[in-house]
Amino acid sequence: MKKKILASAAVSLSVAMLLGACGGASGSKSVEDAKDQTLTVWAMQGDYTNETLDAINKEFTKRTGAKVKVQTQQWNNITTKVTTALSTATPPDVIDMGNTQVMGFASSGGLMDLTSHASELHGGSKWLSGLEEPATVDGKLYGVPAFGAARAVIYSKKIWKDAGIEKAPTTWDEFTADLDTIATKHASDPDFIPFYLPGQYWYSALQFVWDAGGDLAKKDGDTWKGTTSSEKSIEGLKAWKDFQNKYSNKASQTATEVDPVQDQFLAQGKAAAYLGNSSAIPQIKKIDSSITDDDLGTFALPGRLGKNQPSLVAGSDWAVAVKSQHQDLAVKWLKIASSEEIQQKWVFGHDGWLPNSVQGLDKAMKSSDFKQVNTGFFEAAKISKSTPASPQWATIEGDKSINELVEGIATGNTSVENAAKTFDQHVEQVLNKK
Amino acid sequence: MRTPSQRPSNVKAPPRRLDAGRPNKKLSQGRFAAMLLTPTGVILLALVLVPILFLIVTSFTDFNQASLFTGTFKFKGFAQYVVALKDIEFWKALLRTFIFTAALVIGSLLIGMAVAQMMTKLGTVMRYIVTFVLIFAWAMPNVASSVVWKWLFQPGYGIVNWMLTKLHVFGNMLNVAWSNNTTLAFLCIWMLVIWQAVPYIAITLYAATTQLDQSCLEAAQIDGAGHIRTYWQIVVPLIKPSIMVIAMLSIIWDFNVFNQIWLVSQGGPNGTTSTIGVFTYKKAFVNFDIAQGAAISVITVIILMALTGVYVRNLLKSGEDL
Amino acid sequence: MSETMNVVSRAHVKSGAAMTGAHRRFGWRRCGTNVIALIFCVVWIFPVYWMTVTAFKPRNEIMTTTPAFIPKHWSLVNFYSAIMQTSFLQNLENSVIVTFSAIIISVFLAFLACAALTLYRFRGRRVIMVLILAMQMLPGTALLIPQFIVFNQMGLLNRYIGLILAYIAMVLPFSIWNMRGFFLAIPVDIFESARVEGASEWQILRKITFPLVAPGVVSTSVFAFITAWNDYLTAYTFMRDQAKYTLPVWLSSFTTPAGTDFGGQMAASVLFSLPVVVFFMIVQRNIAKGSTAGAVK
Repeated sequence: MKKKILASAAVSLSVAMLLGACGGASGSKSVEDAKDQTLTVWAMQGDYTNETLDAINKEFTKRTGAKVKVQTQQWNNITTKVTTALSTATPPDVIDMGNTQVMGFASSGGLMDLTSHASELHGGSKWLSGLEEPATVDGKLYGVPAFGAARAVIYSKKIWKDAGIEKAPTTWDEFTADLDTIATKHASDPDFIPFYLPGQYWYSALQFVWDAGGDLAKKDGDTWKGTTSSEKSIEGLKAWKDFQNKYSNKASQTATEVDPVQDQFLAQGKAAAYLGNSSAIPQIKKIDSSITDDDLGTFALPGRLGKNQPSLVAGSDWAVAVKSQHQDLAVKWLKIASSEEIQQKWVFGHDGWLPNSVQGLDKAMKSSDFKQVNTGFFEAAKISKSTPASPQWATIEGDKSINELVEGIATGNTSVENAAKTFDQHVEQVLNKK
Repeated sequence: MRTPSQRPSNVKAPPRRLDAGRPNKKLSQGRFAAMLLTPTGVILLALVLVPILFLIVTSFTDFNQASLFTGTFKFKGFAQYVVALKDIEFWKALLRTFIFTAALVIGSLLIGMAVAQMMTKLGTVMRYIVTFVLIFAWAMPNVASSVVWKWLFQPGYGIVNWMLTKLHVFGNMLNVAWSNNTTLAFLCIWMLVIWQAVPYIAITLYAATTQLDQSCLEAAQIDGAGHIRTYWQIVVPLIKPSIMVIAMLSIIWDFNVFNQIWLVSQGGPNGTTSTIGVFTYKKAFVNFDIAQGAAISVITVIILMALTGVYVRNLLKSGEDL
Repeated sequence: MSETMNVVSRAHVKSGAAMTGAHRRFGWRRCGTNVIALIFCVVWIFPVYWMTVTAFKPRNEIMTTTPAFIPKHWSLVNFYSAIMQTSFLQNLENSVIVTFSAIIISVFLAFLACAALTLYRFRGRRVIMVLILAMQMLPGTALLIPQFIVFNQMGLLNRYIGLILAYIAMVLPFSIWNMRGFFLAIPVDIFESARVEGASEWQILRKITFPLVAPGVVSTSVFAFITAWNDYLTAYTFMRDQAKYTLPVWLSSFTTPAGTDFGGQMAASVLFSLPVVVFFMIVQRNIAKGSTAGAVK
């Protein structure tokens, strides 16, 4: 208690000085008119399109009479941005968050507990577990799934056809045989890449680890144990390394999926295929406007043991700030955003994302709007897993130690075993904090 | 530019203050001086000194993300300092900062001196062109120059990558991601900072050189001293006061380089281009381990203050009157 | 082109014939220096050139594997999208308000403080100077942490006043230290005679001191301007709404996970840098003059 007094003394001391210094510069806040409330929504760049947000907002205003202010945020350093926003007295009300981010903010007390509204928000459907699980801490719900995305192989139909391959592969052996055929066909072109796979693209490595039956970490009672150096995980990492080294180019070994933007290699005909999520399709078409949906194909990455590789469901959740001054309105907004109508017509139909529920997924695949080019993403989403369910996980992604792990493996700078061991130590240190 | 204060160090400043004889006048002048100082004093006290005290308090707590949201935190004694001092990454970042600062200061000074000397040998037109070019590089806000750099060195499309590939010396550099390799990332950032640091140094030193007594130089030339020898033995000692001031400023500026590193490499790959500033920022505002960040800052401040102490002592010794 | 070359070489031949050996050597050396200077200029201006050229290229000419040094088609589309499709004007306004408020306040305060610290002798003066020097050495992130927490408590985040105060704290110590040199260069007897003629201290400050240190005020303003106008970190950390961002933060927002809009970003860089370059061109003579005046004293 004493400490708080000391600290607040320091604060008030400086308050007094600042006020003395700048003569009442801090003005008083006007009281908001209760009837004319505005809900502030933070949307992430590239998630929902403006049209989808407009559709939600229109419905919201119709039902409640309140207005909505949407602010689009950039992904760059978003954790910093959201944390600083949540710590102010007037934070944004509804925030779009990557599914792996929710847990961290929830467990440090920044988000509103939505458990009491859970059934109302579900509306009878079963949300994708890869989106709901990370939004649940100690059995309490802190986020509402906004949409899902799963990674699948995106390939250029033309290049595959030119190599004499008509059908998308369904097994690992078919898949690698196809890549070999393509590689042989382009053997004379040193710049050609059969399968572009950046060395820091840890999502892809994770799929291989899961496929081999391994995982990054396991919770044992109250403590986390790193399992990246387990036999199975090592096997998966080695398979990933072999695949990366064999089918991607040397420069890619140190690259991330955004630097250089991996979509460009396929768009320019330099690569025959790569692993990406559904937002990649419009990106490719943006880079080269002559490419259409018919030129592209997708399929779930086949596992080496029969089934497709489990994919990491990416996606976003909507969360409400604990300090929000419009929590009731925010919950109403969430309800509309996760409703079946919005999810089908807009989130899936217009934006091309996976709907947030299992029912929605089925319905979307059967609908007439379903584009063939999206098949792979939906198939991949059927077998999905998520990263270790610890609030501290975000630190691992934030400090890039996981990029370090896979980059070291891809380049061969460290042995798979050593890299995995170092990573395990770091994971245990981070996840078991407090 | 604070060059005016660069008096040759051996010349003692004449007594120049207005301590006039009459005591009542002295009193009123003292009061007047106090009045002039008050606003600055209040501002610096409130915006610098109090925050530093607050920083010290924070460094003894466990202030983190949850504290920001809920306002609660506990006192932890010296725990944060123990963690920081035991953290090998902290020491690496500190060492890296000193080496990088040295590389920047030495590089920019040498190139700046060379450019200044070159300017003295040019005709009016060419000198104007050089000045014009220098001002462009100097005036670019460093956030803009950093994004331009990213574009110049962009894997796949970067013009520098393309030119290096065309040289056929380094092999195919087209898809090299500079920011993903420690050495290349540092090289890239070094060039960026140097590019913008040289203009100020060159222009200031050029000005200092042109003010020198030409007869001295001519005498040396007649004595048959070569250009390079003349420069190092005659010109450099004469413009040494300017060089010292610039060196001091460069050390302060280069030690605090942040934007360029943050925007070009984000301190990566794997934190290997994190200087102490980037390292602290990441701790405090990416991982939101604010108390840890505070402890690191306090340690850094103590180190810097020790260095400043040495500098101030040297200033006083050399006759500079503070 | 070839005509110019001819003229140049003819001039050389002519002068070469007329000159003595020593002079001829000097001529060649001069020519060599000019070549080096030219190479230097090309290298040094290239980033600026490439930024500008990229900004004027249409979208499909930017991302090409073989770069074009001159755009095939000149286009303003990047400028259009940088200005119209972003919050450029709003962010520009923010930058101008915040930067200029901070400069005006800190330079004014620095002027008063320097007058006190250099023209009058009083107890504790030296301690204050050392303190100010120490503050100037503080790393930026050290201040950012406590300022963030304190400003948050006081509700100053996401507001101009918070950023202005942070910038004042950032530039004031250096401004004082910088301006001090110009004060020291004033010959002291001026004040004495003014005082004998019965001028008050305020009058002396306004009518005598200020004009004499005017170059110092300009030079200090330039440095304060560079620091505040360039700041990315504080603005990014303190300002929450896009509408409150300053230009550096706006400029970095062209980078998204889906890649960077380089055309837009380069156009934005041109827009962001242009006023500063023009400003520098205007004041650079002042800066150089000010610094040389003191350097030879």
